[in-house]
Amino acid sequence: MLGRPSYSLNEDSTTPPSMQVETQIGDYYVTYMVFPAFPSPNQPGRVNLYASRIDDGRPFDGEVAFKVRDDSLFNDDEELLGVQLPDDNVFRQGFEFREAGNFIVRAEFEAGGEPYQIDFPLQIGEPARWGPLGLTVAAIMVLLITVNFVQRNRLISDKIRSGRQDRAG
Amino acid sequence: MKPHIRHLNKLRWISLTGIFLVLILLPCISVYQAYVAAHAYDLLTPSEQLFYDVMETLTDPFVSDPEHDLDAVKGTTWAATVFDVKVSDPLAVVGQVSAGLEIYPSFLLAALIPVIVTLMFGRIFCGWICPATLLYELNTNLAAWLHRVGLPVGNRHFDRRLKYLVLGIGVILSMITGSVLFAAVYPPAIIGREIYYAIALGGFGAGAVFFVLTLLFDLLVARRGFCRYVCPGGALYSLLGRYRVLRIQRKVETCNDCAKCTAVCEFELNPMRDGFGQECNNCTACIAVCPTDALVFKVDIKDIPNQGPGHLGRHYRENEY
Repeated sequence: MLGRPSYSLNEDSTTPPSMQVETQIGDYYVTYMVFPAFPSPNQPGRVNLYASRIDDGRPFDGEVAFKVRDDSLFNDDEELLGVQLPDDNVFRQGFEFREAGNFIVRAEFEAGGEPYQIDFPLQIGEPARWGPLGLTVAAIMVLLITVNFVQRNRLISDKIRSGRQDRAG
Repeated sequence: MKPHIRHLNKLRWISLTGIFLVLILLPCISVYQAYVAAHAYDLLTPSEQLFYDVMETLTDPFVSDPEHDLDAVKGTTWAATVFDVKVSDPLAVVGQVSAGLEIYPSFLLAALIPVIVTLMFGRIFCGWICPATLLYELNTNLAAWLHRVGLPVGNRHFDRRLKYLVLGIGVILSMITGSVLFAAVYPPAIIGREIYYAIALGGFGAGAVFFVLTLLFDLLVARRGFCRYVCPGGALYSLLGRYRVLRIQRKVETCNDCAKCTAVCEFELNPMRDGFGQECNNCTACIAVCPTDALVFKVDIKDIPNQGPGHLGRHYRENEY
């Protein structure tokens, strides 16, 4: 990623705003846009992808497969959204999700005998902020902060005692 | 009156906490900027609108154009831009040069400030800046408390040269694979990245799992074990800081051999016997705990060899040195 997501349209536009991500991969400069920028469950949306060569700007004219997976740890279940050919140099892939969540859209294509895979984030609606890993991390942080705060007056003597026994073996 | 130097450890805690909070604030600013750029307030979910409102309240007194004016500081402790000055962790440079098998002059320049600071003050990044240190030290305190209440905690010992091996293997693997592998196992890089993931992308990644495992390693296997035995960045900073200019030294005349300094040192150094070496990160915990103010900062590129028992100690007096 070259930077934070930016947005291609301003407040005066009659078109819904799109989230746009730009990245470089191999020989290609890839732009990815989501319409609308903040899609909701059961609302049709669209991914537009544009890929052009970095050296001469020539657009990619093969086919691009769009896959989607849930953006959760240890999840490898991937679903094919569709395979698209370019329409005016843009690969357009429609979608409609039934549930809110964080998803990863993977665009795959092959150029010059090399396979390309690019992952882009896609947020649908308002997903739950805390997954199992987030809850674990939060619990550890709360434990660390609580113990350190409550025991702050005894920590130095505890550390000295613990350190001495640690060295004693 | 206690000398001011004793309060350096408190200042260090303020520094560590402040840097950690900045690492939380930066992705919040980034997300807020993205929302502002999108002109999409009405399309945000209620929690996102609340986030927007809070950020707007916090930043409004300082900037008129948040989309552009909040760009002064970007990045993490791995690599950052601070008021147009690019700063990079030396380990990032070593990793990138190894992976690319090419020297990048601008990247080298970005590591210049941390390298100079390390040559002057030693492993000070580890003690005063590293966001993982804050959590590791809280974790050490947790271990001390668990130990007091009778629960077992880790007290195993390994060869501290192990981390230099990790650094060497990391360089070789980066050269072979072409990837900067250090970024995957280096706690400060992981923390910066994971905080960004959590705030900007809505969840933690595999790095969080790895970091939790390092906390468990410290808690159950070896006190501050990851920093002492594994961290490749710690190894690099130790090497760079071997001949640091500023170092802690013991005033043997005022030392009473209480050994509190040695017990409190999380890197298992031995200040009471003048054993600081290249591992010392100038955290000043030993200075803060010394009851006779026998530990001070000195400008010297070498440690003083063992000066023997402290002159206020019983052992020294009984043997009439």
